[in-house]
Amino acid sequence: MKRRLAVAIGVPALLLAATACGAGESSSTADGKEKITLILGQAGEPFYISMDCGAKQAAKDLKVDLDTQGPTAFDATLQNPIIDTVVQKKPGAILIAPNDDKASVNPLKAAQDKGIKTILVDTIVGDESIGLSRISSDNEAGGVAAAQELAKQIGDKGSVLFIGTKPGVSSVDARQRGFEKEIKNHSGIKLLPAQFSNNELAKANQVVTDTLTANKDLAGIFAANLTTADGAAAGLKSTGKQGQVKIVGFDAGPQQVKQLTDGSVQALVVQKPYDMGYKGVEFALKAIKGETVEKQVATDFVVATKENVSTPEISKYLYKESC
Amino acid sequence: MTGQTPAGTDEAPAKKPHDDIAVITPDPALAAVERVADEAVEPVPSALQRLVRSSSIWTAGVLALFIIVFSILMPTSFASADNATTILSNASILLVLAVGMTFVIITSGIDLSVGAVLVLSAVVAGQQMAKVGESGTAVVVTALVVAVAVGLFVGAVNGVLVAYAKVPPLIVTLGMLGIALGTARILTKGIDVRTSAMENIDTPQGAVFGIRLIVLIALGVLIVGGVLLHLTRFGRYTYAIGSNAEAARRSGVNVQLHLVKIYALSGLLAGFAGFLSLAKFGTSGLSGHESDSLGAIAAVVLGGTSLFGGIGTIVGTLIGVFIPAILANGFVLLDIQAYWQQVAVGVVLVAAVWFDQYKRRSRNRS
Repeated sequence: MKRRLAVAIGVPALLLAATACGAGESSSTADGKEKITLILGQAGEPFYISMDCGAKQAAKDLKVDLDTQGPTAFDATLQNPIIDTVVQKKPGAILIAPNDDKASVNPLKAAQDKGIKTILVDTIVGDESIGLSRISSDNEAGGVAAAQELAKQIGDKGSVLFIGTKPGVSSVDARQRGFEKEIKNHSGIKLLPAQFSNNELAKANQVVTDTLTANKDLAGIFAANLTTADGAAAGLKSTGKQGQVKIVGFDAGPQQVKQLTDGSVQALVVQKPYDMGYKGVEFALKAIKGETVEKQVATDFVVATKENVSTPEISKYLYKESC
Repeated sequence: MTGQTPAGTDEAPAKKPHDDIAVITPDPALAAVERVADEAVEPVPSALQRLVRSSSIWTAGVLALFIIVFSILMPTSFASADNATTILSNASILLVLAVGMTFVIITSGIDLSVGAVLVLSAVVAGQQMAKVGESGTAVVVTALVVAVAVGLFVGAVNGVLVAYAKVPPLIVTLGMLGIALGTARILTKGIDVRTSAMENIDTPQGAVFGIRLIVLIALGVLIVGGVLLHLTRFGRYTYAIGSNAEAARRSGVNVQLHLVKIYALSGLLAGFAGFLSLAKFGTSGLSGHESDSLGAIAAVVLGGTSLFGGIGTIVGTLIGVFIPAILANGFVLLDIQAYWQQVAVGVVLVAAVWFDQYKRRSRNRS
């Protein structure tokens, strides 16, 4: 009986010890390396995996101690507790892609109040005092480019639909602004009311099939992020309309590149998350050392089509599923 | 069996007025069987014995072990007052859900819908709040009343289906999970409701005696739940139904009505948790509560409540809630991937239930 009791308590304890091996706390000054934590917008999404790869490379090059965390869904109720706990680790700096421009403010404020340097990557928060630097794509220009590419694809006439993730995600909001602004310049194109996917494949899929049913003259779709584009293309495929209704997506994960090459998607606006991650770590280290960093950095993008996707200039920017 | 005096009593059969009628005496064979049965019953254990036997002591031991290991590995980040506040604050909502779940599981039922009811309540409350205004007491009160009402209603529906339509709780609450979450998405068209009117629930500014308001509220719920479960007739009926529903019914307990109340209570607390979540995060969290129901069940079971009903304590639930909370916190601090936390909680849960079953079997054999 005592033996079994020892096993029942010992097994989880050993599991814990095994996973903790090699981890554990060391002050940043003890082994000389600064500690930086990267909190992704969502764990497992190729955009953020690429960002992580860039950050890890920078950590290797600059000799900093980087660790990465991320919520299982793009939701502030999951990310905030992670931020709270990371703050307890007192890293020198936090790099984060906040899930919500309002809800993410309080935990980040607490981090800054503790002297942890905060750098925002990809998404931002509304409160200007948060984030020594904001590194993201020029999302508005990305939306403009998407609109121009889509207009070209549909021959400048028909109805177009914008599908975002959810309101309050700064990056996607900016893409919407750029897209809608540019579409106004094309008089032959009608803009349908924007829809949202909540960053879920199934919902994006459903939005597309529903819109097709309601609008027979739907000519083009702009799906404004990786998961949305993925789901939207699948929705088109399921109704057999791929190729007839043109899609311009955002982001270039492996699944989307496949959709590009098989014709379900006509063009992808490709961000540079690897660069964001790399620059983020660079800036974080600078900030820890007390140097000033640029308040706003816009990374640019490339437009990938079936024709150019395998060329080296474009293929090096495609997102990864592992580093 | 009518007409026979219960075995073991000292009273002789009553003297019949008519001596020509045969007196009924206890069947000697039956009396022998009943004597053996009496001897097999254990003497009532003392409070200390009961405490040592209870599963929650062992869970408390595992919890203490984790705390010690983490504190040794990370003396300044884990073992700090600040981190304790973080752990408590992030465990508060789960604690509120687990209190309701304790009652349900003690009746040998289950409620898989609590996470979805939380989200639905938060959504409806958030939408109604926006109609009332931007901030102020009226807005907060509206949110609270609406959230609790939604939760109570859904819980009552669950209870009616379980108690009167006799659909198994697993199925009822699984179906309700889909209905509630689906309704939440319909109402919001899939996009989170956002609000910023109640931020002080989880900030140092709103703290009372240095403890965050949300933590105090959750502990308040725990205490009320504890009183209800351990010190009232309502609680006793709950245990009775879990132990043996038929016996409870024959003793005069309205089992069906009580079950409705139990599920309504679970729903009410899920609604209240929705209000707390809306207050703490400022968003309805449509995708953020998928694993809440299972988390609450795991916490309750880790705390020593038996899935087969009749056994469980509120203190056990408190201890049980802390295991996933501390694991989640400790793992992030140790830079361990989030996915290992799920593995660890699963391992601890299975180990705890297996251990509890083993103790029960060995107690029955001795």
